[in-house]
Amino acid sequence: MTTRVGDWFDERLGWRGVWEAIFLRKIPKVNWLFTLGSATLFVATTQIVTGILLTIYYVPTPDHAYDSVQFITTQVPAGWFIRGLHHYGASAMVVLAALHMLRVIFMGAYKFPREMTWFTGVVLLVITVGFGFTGYLLPWDQKAFWATTVGTQIAGAAPGVGDWVLRIMRGGEELSAITLARFFGVHVWVLPAALILLLAIHMYLVIRIGISAPPKKEE
Amino acid sequence: MSSTPLSRRKFMGIATGAIGGFITVAIAFPAIAYILAPALKRDEAEEWIRLGSASKVELGTPTLFKATIERQTGWIVTETELTFYVLTDNGRDYVAMSNTCTHLGCRVRWIEDQQQFFCPCHNAAFDKEGEVLSGPPPRPLDRYTVKVEDDQLYVLGG
Repeated sequence: MTTRVGDWFDERLGWRGVWEAIFLRKIPKVNWLFTLGSATLFVATTQIVTGILLTIYYVPTPDHAYDSVQFITTQVPAGWFIRGLHHYGASAMVVLAALHMLRVIFMGAYKFPREMTWFTGVVLLVITVGFGFTGYLLPWDQKAFWATTVGTQIAGAAPGVGDWVLRIMRGGEELSAITLARFFGVHVWVLPAALILLLAIHMYLVIRIGISAPPKKEE
Repeated sequence: MSSTPLSRRKFMGIATGAIGGFITVAIAFPAIAYILAPALKRDEAEEWIRLGSASKVELGTPTLFKATIERQTGWIVTETELTFYVLTDNGRDYVAMSNTCTHLGCRVRWIEDQQQFFCPCHNAAFDKEGEVLSGPPPRPLDRYTVKVEDDQLYVLGG
């Protein structure tokens, strides 16, 4: 029965070929360090799901941001759980992506023909850090406010363009409703779009080229 | 138990599916509760709203009382002013009526000369008990349960 349904769809969608290319592809003999990329992908997925759920209640204005986050945490059923997953998932995402990158460096997996996989991966790490930076402001508590004050000041210390960059990031001289709104916009629209696009390229290359085997001593 | 031994590949497939399914359910169930529960929750039960001293009610004359109540939606608390007409004929039994016309929700006003409530929107008239005398309202003025404690008037509302 299931095979017949599968056949029906396969004749029309060719999904078996896609399934085989993704999940039944040949890989060299590897160890557990090679799962760090998949682990990062898994956390990215939960971040997307929990992030979408949080926007159902969160309101990105100075009047409501803090109160709406408190409402999610204390009043909404399982709100503490959804927010907690997103909060700790953010840290896990940065740690896993960084470890994944270290594995690629130490095993020389960035070399020909995988340079493009490496480049997209580097941009993905920058995007991940961008998620962390913009998301940190959104609860609009003291820690968020002052961390972003300091963070934007660091960007403002850049020679020449610093002041200009600082004003673009804050949307003015000071942290304000404009800062919160643009950090929210970047966090939920700009960065997710960039993440999904680059992730698609990154995954395509991993499947297309295949992963490298751990280097041997004599190589 | 079984004649065909479970292959390593088969076992890994089942284990992956089981763990993946568990994780999916562990997130999906809280997510459903998170989305649905506030919508399924009924508004808070009615409570006793204090109007003021019962001795302010003149015998046989509907007397206006105002009360401010706090309503909370999500994290936002708003104050709403509610208005009631209270009537007593003997100083013991009280009737509390809404001052909202049952036709389209305009505010009715007690006209002492004519001994009737008047709604300015469509010239509706109610007697002092709140019964419809003339005009389009479909039913008498809404009534509230009243109680008196230590000379203080309370109505049940929300």
